[in-house]
Parts: sequence; C-alpha cells; structure tokens
Amino acid sequence: MSYLTDTTEGVQHLLMGNEAIARGALEAGISVASGYPGTPSSEIIENLARVASPGNLYVEWSTNEKVALEVSAAASFAGLRALCVMKQNGVNVASDFLLHLASSGTRGGIVLVPCDDPGALSSVNEGESRYFARLLEIPLLEPADFQEAKDMVKWAFELSEAIKNVVMVRSVTRLSHASGNVIFGALPVSKRLPAFKYHGSLLDPDCGPIISLLPGMPESKHTPQQGKIREAAQLFEQTPFNAYEGPKNPELLIVACSVASLYGREAIHLLGLESRVGILKVGTTWPLPQQFLKKNLSKTKEVLFIEEVFPFLEEQVKILAAEGVSEIGMKVFYGKHSGHIPSVGELNPDIIIDALSKLLGLKYRAVPKSLAGKVEEATKACVVPPRELSFCPGCPHRASYWSIHNALELDGREGFVCGDIGCYTLGMLACGFNAVKTLHSMGSGTGIASGFGKLKPFGLKQPVLAVCGDSTFFHTAMPALVNAIHHQSPFTLVILDNRGTAMTGFQSHPGLPVNAMGEEMPAIAIDEICRAMGASVEIKDPFDVEETQISLNRLMESQYGVHVLILRQACALSPERKTGKKYEMLVDEAVCVGENCGCNRLCTRIFRCPGLVWNKEKASARIDEVICAGCGVCSDICPAGAITRREKV
Amino acid sequence: MRIFGSNEMAADVIQRGLCVGCGACVDICPYFRSYRGRTAMLFPCTLPKGKCHAFCPRAEVDLDELSLQFFGLSYGDNPLGTYISVKAARGIYPVQNASFQAGGTVSVLAWLALKNRHIEVAVLTDREGLLPVPRLVTDPDDVFSCASSKYTAAPTLSAFNKAVREGYKRIGVVATPCQVIGLAQRRLNPMAESDFMDCASLVIGLFCTWAVDFRSFEPYISGRFAVEGIKKMDIPPPPAQVMEVYLEKGKAELPLNDIRGFIPAGCSYCWDMTAEFSDLSVGALEGRPDMNTLIIRTERGQQLVWQALKHGYLQVEELPVENLEHLAEAAKNKKKRGLMKLKEDGLFNTDDPAEHACLRMMPEVAEKIIT
Amino acid sequence: MRCLLRYLSGRRHYKKGKSLIMGVGKLPREPFNVIVTGVGGQGSVMLSRVLANMLVMEGFRVTVGETFGASQRGGSVMSHLRISEAYTWSPQIPKGCADIIVALEPIEVIRILPSYINKNVLVLSNTRPIYPVGVIAGESSYPSLEEIKKCVERLVCKAWFIDATDEAVKMGNSILGNIVLLGALSALEALPLRRSFFRDVISEMVTEDNVSLNLAVYDRGVELIKQDFDFRV
Repeated sequence: MSYLTDTTEGVQHLLMGNEAIARGALEAGISVASGYPGTPSSEIIENLARVASPGNLYVEWSTNEKVALEVSAAASFAGLRALCVMKQNGVNVASDFLLHLASSGTRGGIVLVPCDDPGALSSVNEGESRYFARLLEIPLLEPADFQEAKDMVKWAFELSEAIKNVVMVRSVTRLSHASGNVIFGALPVSKRLPAFKYHGSLLDPDCGPIISLLPGMPESKHTPQQGKIREAAQLFEQTPFNAYEGPKNPELLIVACSVASLYGREAIHLLGLESRVGILKVGTTWPLPQQFLKKNLSKTKEVLFIEEVFPFLEEQVKILAAEGVSEIGMKVFYGKHSGHIPSVGELNPDIIIDALSKLLGLKYRAVPKSLAGKVEEATKACVVPPRELSFCPGCPHRASYWSIHNALELDGREGFVCGDIGCYTLGMLACGFNAVKTLHSMGSGTGIASGFGKLKPFGLKQPVLAVCGDSTFFHTAMPALVNAIHHQSPFTLVILDNRGTAMTGFQSHPGLPVNAMGEEMPAIAIDEICRAMGASVEIKDPFDVEETQISLNRLMESQYGVHVLILRQACALSPERKTGKKYEMLVDEAVCVGENCGCNRLCTRIFRCPGLVWNKEKASARIDEVICAGCGVCSDICPAGAITRREKV
Repeated sequence: MRIFGSNEMAADVIQRGLCVGCGACVDICPYFRSYRGRTAMLFPCTLPKGKCHAFCPRAEVDLDELSLQFFGLSYGDNPLGTYISVKAARGIYPVQNASFQAGGTVSVLAWLALKNRHIEVAVLTDREGLLPVPRLVTDPDDVFSCASSKYTAAPTLSAFNKAVREGYKRIGVVATPCQVIGLAQRRLNPMAESDFMDCASLVIGLFCTWAVDFRSFEPYISGRFAVEGIKKMDIPPPPAQVMEVYLEKGKAELPLNDIRGFIPAGCSYCWDMTAEFSDLSVGALEGRPDMNTLIIRTERGQQLVWQALKHGYLQVEELPVENLEHLAEAAKNKKKRGLMKLKEDGLFNTDDPAEHACLRMMPEVAEKIIT
Repeated sequence: MRCLLRYLSGRRHYKKGKSLIMGVGKLPREPFNVIVTGVGGQGSVMLSRVLANMLVMEGFRVTVGETFGASQRGGSVMSHLRISEAYTWSPQIPKGCADIIVALEPIEVIRILPSYINKNVLVLSNTRPIYPVGVIAGESSYPSLEEIKKCVERLVCKAWFIDATDEAVKMGNSILGNIVLLGALSALEALPLRRSFFRDVISEMVTEDNVSLNLAVYDRGVELIKQDFDFRV
C-alpha cells in the first residue's frame, strides 16, 4: 500500500512535489488521470497509476498531450473529476484542444498541471506554460511549496467546478523534483456516477451539448468564459495562497510566485533583512486578485519581482499598478525588465541575494575572501575534469549512432540526421558521434526530413536520415511519416526502439503490451504500422553494428520512397537488461594496440563507453567491471580483437 | 619520405581530390575505410605520424628513394622507368571461357606463381556488377574469375593489408600504377617497424592511362545495360574513341568522351602509366589484340617469366621497335601531364616545410621530362 | 567522538538578523544543510531520500532539492537537503552554506566545494572514481585520489574518505555504496540518525529479502568510521 493513499488525516509524509500534486488530486476525488511523460512531470501520473483500481481511478499514459487532455475532458464532461499532466512543451501540443476546451467549458472538475523546466535542466527549451492561461483565458495557480502543491491542486478542482472551466496549476522542476513534509487531508469516499448530459439547449452549461463556440457568435461562449475569469479573480481575493510576510511598511516589497518565494525568503533571512524587506507571495497569478494586490502594493514604493522564466507576474502587476495609480501611488519596479533579475535560466537564493544587495547597497560574500583564496590555491593543484553528458554504459543508442555515423561517412555525400526528443537527443554530442544535426520538438525530426527529401529536385544531394524513439513515434512522428510517404519524400527513418519511454523512466506506450496501470493491453507493432502506411521496413539489432551499417548504406543509396529501419534493443536501464550482463567483457593487454598506429585508442577515445577505462601504465584499455553493462559491442569495434566477450551463464 | 598523420592525409589527399581510392590506408586501422570506390575517414586520429600517410601514393612520394630501394639507382628520365626488357607476350592456358584482356599474360603469370608456391596468396580485383572488389585468392584456378580490366578505381591494396594482417608472408599483387606506388611506399618500411617484412613477393603492374569513378560511372552504365549481363569491357587503342561493352548478345560501344567525364580528379596528377615499381608490367599491345606488352623489371619477375616459358604457359615475341616507341611516347605524355598538374597546384618538390608535396624527384630529371 | 560537536558548534558566517526561525536544540544550526553528490546512476537520489525520510521520522521538516533528468546520463548529480526544526526551506542551498557534503564520487567534492564551502563544512566521500568520458577519451585528466584528499583536507574542517563501493562490492552489490555512506554518515553523529529508522525506511523501499543486506551494509559503513576514530585515538 502506497503512503499516497494513507487515509489518516493529519499524518505527515515526505513527498516529492509531484507526489504532493498526485495526493492533492486524490484528496479531490479524481476518477481519471492522463498525461504524456516528460521531465519534470512524469512522477505525477506514475504515482497515481500505482494506486489506480478499476472503477475507482483510471490512469493512462496517452499517446500525446493533446489526446491526454481530451481523455481527461471526457471524464469532466461526464461529471467526474480529472487531472491532466504534462511537461511545459506538452501544453503546446495540447493547446489546440485547450483553446476549445476553455471556450466550451467543463463540468466535473478538471485541472491541467504543466511542469515547467526553468533553466532547461532536462529540456531542450526554456518555454513557459503560464501564458497559455492568459491567452486562452483560464485561471492559473502556482504553488510555492510541497504542502501548497497538494492543497492547491485539491482546491483547483473546487475552483474548476465553481466556474465550470479547466484550471491550470503550474509546477516547476524545483518543486516537482524536490521533496518536503506534507500534512495529509482526508481522502473522499463518495463516488460520482458518470453521465454525459446533452438533452438541454445548445448553450446550457450543465445539460446541453458541449461545444466550443457557435460560428459567427463569439458572445455565445466567449462572453461567459470571460465572466468565469472575473469570478475566479473574486475567489482569489480570499485564498490563503496569496500572503504577505514582513514589516508593515517595508523599504522594498518582493512580489514572488512559485519556488522563487522560497528563494526570496532565504535571501531575506541570509541578509538579515526581516525588518526591511517584505515578501508578497502570489499563488493565484492569473487572473490577479486586484484588491489584494493593491492593498499590498500600497505598503511601499519599491517593488522587486522574482519569478522564473518570463516576467509574467511582473507585467500583470505593472498593468494593475498603472490602472490603479491613483489608489496606490507611483511605484518603482525592479525585476527582469530592469535587469535586476536575469531573464534566462532558473533562479536560486544567491541570485536574489545579489539583487537585494544591489538594491539596498549591501555587501555579501557567500564565501569569505580569505577562504575563497585558499580554495583557489588548493584547487589549482587538483583540476576537476568536466563531466559531460553521455549515453549510459551498454546503451543501444551509442551502438546505433556508431553505425549511423560510419554509414554517413562511408557514404561520403554529407548526409545528416534530423534528431528528435529522447535520450537519443544526445546524438548531437560526442557520445553520439555528433551525428544529429537538427533538433526541435517531439516528432519534428521526421517532419523536417520529409521536407528535406523534397529538396532533391532542387539539387540537394545530401542523403537524409531521421531518428525517433518508439514512444516519440506514436506521439507525433506518425503524422509526419504519413506526410512523407504520401508525398514520396525520399529519406530513411531510423526508429530507435528501446522498448519504453526510457528517458523519463520506462513509462508504457502503445507499442508495449501493457498500460500505465500495469494491465495487459494489445501492443501496436511499429513495423506493421509503417508497412501499412507504405514504407519499406527492416528490423535490426543495433548491437550488430556491421549489419546495421550495411543496411543504412543500402537504404541511403535508394533514391525513392521512405525507408524505415527499426533498430530494436532494450535500454540498458530497462528492467529486462538491468538485472544482469549478457557478456563478461575482457581486454587482452598483450593484443591491445593502445595508442599505437593501427588503433590509437578507438574504444576509449572515440567509442567512449563509460565501461571502458584507459590504463595509462599498461598502455591498454581495460573494462571497469562495476560500470560495464556487458552489451558486447566494444568487442566488435576493437580493430585488434583485443576485447573479447564471454557469454554469462 | 616525410611522414605525417591522418589529419594531414585527409587534408592533403582526400580533401584536395588527389585520392585515387587505392586502399593503401584501408584496413590498417579503424579510421580509413573504402566504400563504393571511395576512401572515407571515419574519425580523426590524433597521431602525428601514421601508416595511412606513409603508405599513401599521393603523399610525399620520393621517387629517388623508391628507385634506389628497388633498382639501386636514382630515378631517371626513361618514361617507362627501369626495366630489364620489354616483350610481346601471350598467356597459354587451356581454360575455356576465361575472359582475358588481350593476351591473358597477367592471369597466367599469377596462376603460375600460385601454382608453383612462389606466392601463398594473390591479391586480385574482382567485380560485383561494376563495383571492383579486391579478393584474396589462394586456389590457382580462381585467378581466372578475376581476369579482365575493371576500369573503375579499386581499393585493391586494402586486400594486401588484410593478407599481411592474416599472416601471409609471400603475397602476389596485381595492381594499377597508383596501387603499385602505394605498395612500394609500404615496402620501404617507412614507419621503421621492428618486425617488418616485405611480403610483396610478386608485383604485377597493369598499364593505366586513367580509371573511372565508380559512383558516377555506375548510374551511367546501369541506365543503359543490365549490369549483370556485362561480360567484359575494353577501350581499344586510338583512333577508336569508344569504350566497348561486351554483353550476352553482342557488343555495344560508348563514346569515350562520355566516359572521360567520369575520370576522378586524382588521375590527372598521375605520372606513371606503366607501373614503374613492379616486378613485371603488363598492358595492351597496339595492333595485336591477342597479345600483351610485357615489361620485365626485376630479377624475380624474369625468373617467373622463364618458368612460364619453360612450361609453355607463356609465348613471348620481340616487341616491334615502333611499338616500344609509341609506348614510351604515351608514357612520356602522361608523365608530363601529371608533373605539370602537380607543379601548377604546388604539390611538386615544395621547398616550404609547411607545404606538403605529393611527389618529389630531382628537379633536373623533372625538367627533362617536361620539356 | 564527542570532539565532533566542536566542528558543529560554529555559527554561520553570515550576518545574523532577526531570523525567521530560531534553532532549537536538536540541530547544531538552523537549517542544517547536507549536500549529497555523485554521478548519475550511483544511487545518490536514493541515498538522499532515505536520509530525508529518516530525518522526517525524527520529527524534522526536510526539503530535498534534486537535479536529475538529463544529468542522469553520466552527468554530475546533486541533492540538497535542508533540515529544519519547523520550516520549509528552499530546495537549493545558498552558496557557502553546506554543513556536510556526502559524495558518492570523490572528484565531485572538489567540483562543488568552491561554491558551497564554509569553515565548518564536513566531507564524507567515497574513494572510487567514475571517470568522465572526457577523461576516458584522453581529453582531460583525473587527479589521483591522493591529490583529491590533499586538496579537500586542506580546505575543510574534517574529511573522511571511505572505500564505500569496494565494501559494497565485497558484500554483494556495488550499488549499495550509497548505503555504506549513509551508515558512515550516521556514525559521524553530526545528525541524529537512528538505525531503527533506517530499517523502517529501507523496508518500504526494497524487497523483504534485501532488508537484512541493506542493514548489514549500513552497519559496515558505521564500522568504517568507528575504525577511523579508534585509529585516531
């Protein structure tokens, strides 16, 4: 039994932010949760899936975020509560439906939780989901700590049902992936019975059909939608999620949201500014509770905004302050616009300390000068080597890119790979032999390749490859592949099928015989889909590097049609491979050519599997037994036959 | 010989378009591979000196060094190189259906060398479709399946490298002039390997004016004929100006001007028509489609020819004087063109240590050839 | 072993203002900051979770900030633990404010030390290096363990280097190096860590048949530190 379903009210558990969000949804009595994996959001659905049971809670990893939101919306339409979860980029994918959902309105409470990744710690972008709330006119909440994450999500369902619309609760990496104490509330027992009521009039919000808008009649839905926003703003005036902490009339007022409020408090504490600086934590960042903000802005003249990624709150408050200048007086604003807070990257307490020190003329050194000097002196003699990202030992992607790189070089026409999102994104780095040359959103590698292929009649001579993972294939690569096949765009799509959504922790996808809750499901075969679409399909084991390279070269030489090469090998961290090594690897030092002409450390210098170590004294490669995953590929790439493998019994 | 590493090799030879895809650098390390007629560098190697550069027939070839090594004298101005004698020859071997080029001299000599254990293995060039494929042949009778000219540049020396790695000690090679130079470079033991052994026990050079690039030639041919049906190809001596393609049924002719368009840039720097650093060099004999021209250059080459004559596998005649003159004239013209092109591009006898040469020889000898 | 309290009694160097929270009794400082560092895949997330849960059972408010995701793929990983009597602190420890650094990989200590050092910081580190791919490739070099030790010992209040991975390998599984370190950390007595709480927490996280192995490995960690103290006395 997971502690997430602990029914003891008032009990305290250490919860990860994502677990707190999941618990909040459980306390709200959700019946459905759906999402698509993406750091830092994945653990929400994972944890809910663990406590799901038929008729009580249904949890799914949907094909993509748009579908996930549609699945959740259906539950809402039938009067049940539903939680939809995605990483920030996912909101872009879901946004087309979200626009219409926000317009149509909802019934059972529905909460959309996007997890943003300020600083792009695990992303290839630093996007923002909050602007969607404003753009599509739905309320937005931003929890600042773990307790609030739980409480706010629970409350968001109440809000959603009060205004009959979807509510967004935005988390960030430092909340989703951090942990803290959370006091549990009650778990509801009563169950709703789903029913979709559609017998009322077309615009009846409770019993009519649920439609986005009557064409040519924006007032039919848009007017009530804006009414909902005004209603939310009224409710926000009273919530405990907005709070002021500090002196009655501070010299400087910090306006903060999300985890930035914790950084603000930490900075005030470290600088000992408790009597000079106040902090206004805003949990309901759109629409703003105007009266509450005006009251607090009246306390002082100088305001510093701290928030992550874009100056969302900053700009809203500035509008409000301009409109209310006769009530609250002139203000001086600091933040991203003034340059006191950086506009790129995530924040931390030290950045806020810097900003406060600058504004208040303080001198603060995190490490005293004398100590810093000592550190500099001592570390001069002990230089720390950088630790760049790499594929794990035994990763099938290393082998796949090895073959792809070699095939491209042998082909010699400056072919390239259109990359995609997953662990294999690292194909742009040395660990993937720099094969990947374009990198954008989920599924876009295939779409871009489809476009490149059509440039051949203009004289583009370079062969085009695209890569995508098995989960990405279902997510958004499929429409791009259909496009390419229909338009006969010549390129080769290499599907790096490692049997799961590996990057985010092996979530299920339609290609696997199991769903998020561990129930048996029909697996949809990628090769059959591709064949049915009209592509030629081959399946290879990427650990057979020579066969793979030969196939790739043959496919690249073809001038016509779309070829799909499925490189299938389970991820080294997958449950099926993690349990044991297939091979015991051995290096014969006497045979190893080492640094000499004829090899020059191919395995350690170029192949770079972390399971291989260069033994300087013996001028030979060596296997690190603790790290090696026993995949056997290095024995195939060794030109001297010095690396041998022995099947493990 | 100045020796550099793979990066210089890539910059000086591959990127400048001098590479002829001979295979000298292939299969000695993991970095150079040959694919569809072209040599590719897979990854950069950081060593300042490497066999790849040392063996390359297009990087820092010193003709005096080679000539002294193999003939004991400085490189001279004879357009046919150093030799003992030049003959007209024809192979005699009772094999039906073997497809020879002209007189079949090469096939018979290679066959005999294998048969009498003069060599353990022969490095030959076969073809799959139009793609030349180097082969290691140990059964004498298999020699004949590799007979006839390929015209497409081949990485034949990669098979020699493979044979050495596999431990063969007496290896015979049938090679084009550029390949023979690459092999000669290797036979100098330029990397001063302590366990070095010259395994090239027999080098038969083939006359060559140019080859064609497989990658552009293949689509041209396959657009006209079924490649599998091609029995043999030939370029008859001037003034024919055609390439003959022998098919299952009859013969087709292709304009030589088309074919010339497929000559790789690397061939335009070539100064060697008759494979001057071989034991025996063999080519066509003008006006005698059933015979070959045979240049005997070394003692061991001569030994093999005598044996062939003794057992009646070879028939030899004196070469008519005008044929020799024509041959020398053609060889001189090629040498002149190659040297001029090298000079023009600053690849000949460079003085600046920062500049790398493709070829070095005594300036006065070069002057004699050019004028 | 009492001498350790000396290390822990120092005040933080920052200017003391009217604090939001006053330290009360059980912690030498408020908040008490522990950094767990290592390389992706070594089990540092697990270590920080177990540690945090033990402290929550002890009655503390704990915030754990973690970096994982892309950094899991062979990159450096770090967990920040903020241990407090009554307050939720930010998931990122401010620069210069680490009280203890626990490292699953030795060079990672020096990577983070310049940022988080203060004169009272304690270091507990594994000795087994995991070479970055750049080092394997010969593009950068990795200092010797002696150099690392010398550098760390010059800078910090007190440092312990133990062969956590090697001990774990001896006991059956290299991944348990993290538990060896946790046992060792408990033996430093810098934080109130109870073996019974460890048993409770680990029982929730691993299968039943693995609990006794984890306990044995934890005890081995305790022993390694006790030996060290005995040797010094």
